[in-house]
Amino acid sequence: MRSGLGVKAARIAIVVALFAIWEILSRTGIVNPRLLPSASDTLATLGDLLQRASVRKDLAVTASEVVTAFALAVPVGALIGFLIAENRYFAEVAKPLLFFAFSIPKSIFLPMFILVFGVGFAQKVGFGFFSTIFIVIMSTTTAVESVKVEHLTVARSYGATPMQTAFRVYLPSMLPVLLEALRISMIFNLTGVILAEMYASRDGIGHQIATWGENFQMKQLLAGVVMIAAIAIAFNELVRWVETRCSHWRT
Amino acid sequence: MQPLANITPLKPAGAIEVRNVGQVFKTTTQDVVALEDVSLDVKPGRFVVLVGPSGCGKSTLLMMMAGLRQQTSGTITISGAPIPEPDPNRVGVVFQEASLFPWLTAEENVEFPLALRGIAKSDRRTRAQDALKLVGLDGFGKRHPHELSGGMKQRVSIARGLVQDPPVLLMDEPFAALDEQTRMTMGDELLRIWAATGKTVVFVTHSLTEAVYLADEVIVMSPRPGRIVDHLQVPLPRPRTYEMLSGDTFGSLRDRIWRHIRKSA
Repeated sequence: MRSGLGVKAARIAIVVALFAIWEILSRTGIVNPRLLPSASDTLATLGDLLQRASVRKDLAVTASEVVTAFALAVPVGALIGFLIAENRYFAEVAKPLLFFAFSIPKSIFLPMFILVFGVGFAQKVGFGFFSTIFIVIMSTTTAVESVKVEHLTVARSYGATPMQTAFRVYLPSMLPVLLEALRISMIFNLTGVILAEMYASRDGIGHQIATWGENFQMKQLLAGVVMIAAIAIAFNELVRWVETRCSHWRT
Repeated sequence: MQPLANITPLKPAGAIEVRNVGQVFKTTTQDVVALEDVSLDVKPGRFVVLVGPSGCGKSTLLMMMAGLRQQTSGTITISGAPIPEPDPNRVGVVFQEASLFPWLTAEENVEFPLALRGIAKSDRRTRAQDALKLVGLDGFGKRHPHELSGGMKQRVSIARGLVQDPPVLLMDEPFAALDEQTRMTMGDELLRIWAATGKTVVFVTHSLTEAVYLADEVIVMSPRPGRIVDHLQVPLPRPRTYEMLSGDTFGSLRDRIWRHIRKSA
């Protein structure tokens, strides 16, 4: 999406204004600075935290959990989604069930993950996987269904092998939907892992944020929020950038 | 020495023979007879149009000639040999709208059949550009389908069908989605391309005017079970002109087709 300079400027202005309001509310004491430390203090704290070895270690733990859960959920979910989309009977049976499963808030299962996996890496990865896989399955199904029959017939009429059909028709047809799915899946994945960390964990940035909150360390807490937000936005924007590059032909 | 001369008793390239072809679709409740005892000969280089109401099996018949579907009974030969599966060296197919790959440029779309056979990139490009030139799209090769008009897209489809230089071109309602003016222009364009290449063309359409305007021969089909109810020769001279549309010959041919179709509608 191309947007004019004016629109971009307005966006930046809104973000700057939000930080300015935050700063003013805190500095003037309209909101108790103990509850809402100023934006500048928070950012300074963030810089501070990023220097700390312990925080970096927490970030590394969270990152490894997120990546593992994602790396498991995406191929498994994509495979299931593909099988469902390709088999009409399977699709008819499974689709409503998937919608049921998708509609249930995943967080209510968290205690069970703790009971089954204990507190640790497996519990967080497991819950991240569980939070992500349904959206991956459903998106893949949509992606496969976005492949046009006409295009498959064209490929067949020119003698395409199954491999050629997969790489020259299925993949490019599905790519825009898949990238979007990847992006949305990551949001679910990150939410799942961090929630699991906040609920019961010994390490990870989610655990840290929960601890700072409980100890009323507002500066650290807000710094942590800003940090996670920035990471999530950065990943999202990266995929969106790839998306626009890969789907310039979409109208 | 001419070793090839005495081992090729085959029919000339581009001949189509349809013999007693039938097609039955089995559903859970009943068998639907889509085509019944269809026989038809198309000589090389002829322009033959199939018309008939929806459900008469004209597209099905075309798909069988393309090797995309198999008949339940009877035989179909293209250039003297049966066509159990698609063979792009013998048959090029042009589909209805939206059959171009939107993620490829016009040039890449035309190259697609060549790319499947692993032909070198530079060779592919030359042949695609030649084909695009033939259909009047010189200089549009780098555009994506969404940057082309409906008529231009169908020109690209035709170029894609011609790029491997098959003797037969099968066209399944290629202009159905175009507006009236574009449709007329594309008809003239197609006739020009046909005259320049000498292909055998089998063209499926709903439009009676289009049928008579384009064809050497019009085959009229009836709905289920699909049968050939008439086979007309169009004696109008070529090149066809717009003025012929209002002539007596044109009118009486169109009326004759219409009477068949009205009976079955």
